[in-house]
Amino acid sequence: MSVLEVRDLSVTFTTPSGVARAVDEVAFSLDVGETLALVGESGSGKTMTALAVLGLVPPPGRVGPASQVRYQDRNLLAGSEAAWRAVRGAEIAIVFQEPTTSLNPVLTIGTQITETIHAHERVSKAAARARAAELLQRVGIADPTHRLDSYPHQLSGGMRQRAMIAMALACRPKVLIADEPTTALDVTVQAQILELLAALKAELGMAMLLITHNLGLAAGVADRVAVMYGGRIVESADTDALFHQPVHPYTAGLLRAAPRLEGPARPQTVIPGAVPPATAWPTGCRFHPRCAFAWEHCATDEPPPLIPTPGRTARCWLVEEPDRRRA
Amino acid sequence: MIARFWRVRHVRIGLALVGALGLVAIAAPVLAPYRPDTVIDVIHARDLPPSLAHPLGTDPYSRDVLSRVLYGARVSLAIAAFSVAIAVTLGTAVGLTAGYAGGAVDAVLMRLVDAGLAIPRFFILLVVVALWPRLGIVALGGLIGLTGWFGMSRIVRQETESVRRREYVTAARAVGCGTPRTLLRHVLPNVAGPVIVAAALGMGNVILLETGLSYLGFGVQPPTPSWGNIIWDGHDVMLNAPWVATAAGVAVVLTVLAFSYLGEGLRRALEPSAT
Repeated sequence: MSVLEVRDLSVTFTTPSGVARAVDEVAFSLDVGETLALVGESGSGKTMTALAVLGLVPPPGRVGPASQVRYQDRNLLAGSEAAWRAVRGAEIAIVFQEPTTSLNPVLTIGTQITETIHAHERVSKAAARARAAELLQRVGIADPTHRLDSYPHQLSGGMRQRAMIAMALACRPKVLIADEPTTALDVTVQAQILELLAALKAELGMAMLLITHNLGLAAGVADRVAVMYGGRIVESADTDALFHQPVHPYTAGLLRAAPRLEGPARPQTVIPGAVPPATAWPTGCRFHPRCAFAWEHCATDEPPPLIPTPGRTARCWLVEEPDRRRA
Repeated sequence: MIARFWRVRHVRIGLALVGALGLVAIAAPVLAPYRPDTVIDVIHARDLPPSLAHPLGTDPYSRDVLSRVLYGARVSLAIAAFSVAIAVTLGTAVGLTAGYAGGAVDAVLMRLVDAGLAIPRFFILLVVVALWPRLGIVALGGLIGLTGWFGMSRIVRQETESVRRREYVTAARAVGCGTPRTLLRHVLPNVAGPVIVAAALGMGNVILLETGLSYLGFGVQPPTPSWGNIIWDGHDVMLNAPWVATAAGVAVVLTVLAFSYLGEGLRRALEPSAT
């Protein structure tokens, strides 16, 4: 049963240099209790996808008319702002990348957590505060009642991110979006935060949309992985399948480019070229100028999501002409 | 936060001066030896030089200058505080709306503000006061406030414009805060710094403006004392009774200086580099 389903999601920005198609016909679904990792480079449209799921695309961004964000089979994009506000924080919550800038510097941690509770439930101030203290305790902050009165600048980066997680979980959401939740943290803290997220997810039975550029992180946590390139999901598959047998050359390139600790030392491989600007995606397959296998077909026609094996998709013509992979 | 302000010397000096002025204004009835409009002896006690009985002398109508300056502080400061309160409220409301809404709302509001700024304020005031010659103190303060929020709204708009793009504003909306709550709890406190600075500097400006208007006879109407009309009372007798205009003039200068100090200090305290 899918709790969140995104169909044909497009986000465009009208800029002086043309229309930027930041997110283009993205589709995915998230089952109850499942973790889906959305992986991609900077500028691939991951974060904008997350914001669009919450209805928070910043102006001048526009969500395309055919887009659907279905939460429990209700299209939020067709609903009112009030209906959406009731969902935000209570049903679908988000943890942002940078806890330092995502917490309001002039409000205490306690105020910011209880605010979430008050926005959705009619509870007394004392009850909300007690719950906030419980939440802080649950996310592993020592001396929670005392910490409620701390300002963000009085906490360390890891503690801030824990506080952000407490805020996100205040109303027991069914979907948690984690947008690069560990990128801004010290390496030693990253693992702790990930463990905490995994534990909380299991405990609350949440589904998680994990947004990351880190393939290793996705491999460790996700049930399924969707790889984004140029505003599109170019490949999606179960985590094991994707890592053992990537279909799309971009996925394969990403895997090769990831540094490894095991095995003999080897020169770092990179994907040649750079991500083109969102105002000027190449015709045909958006990856073809950087692809080692590209042929004329790739330059003229964009591949739809093709199905190499049941349960996975790839936007690549190699699915139809696998022989070319050997060439 | 308060400790941070206190560390800046300008803030301490400014606050001390402003506090002293405020106390003097409040305590005027206790401190002043006479009522401000008491005529002591119109034949023998005009333009008396400073003495023990009249520390700042008397004016051409035989009134005690010290008493008039003290009561004048009440009038001048009250008008300034009232009008700055109005300007801050209006400017903040308009600036927040324009900066947060953006787009057409922003464009329309800001063009109106541009128009407001393009008309010289002093002359609007002169025209209005010429049409309604006997304005009360409240009306005068209100009028100064209503014509004084344009600059404030620009400051607030600019700050809001930058604050609304901060992640914590998105985060506030992501936990389900509606627009009013987001604006008042998350945006407003983060734009308050420059507003406070502008308000402090604005107090000084309004005092000068009110002094100018009252000097020209368009502001506070005699016999109610204001520093402006005390200076007017003294300008005729500048040569043989300079203390009349000087006393009020010094009061104006001190007050404006006090608020400039305070404003400058707050600005420094709020600068990120000051921490």
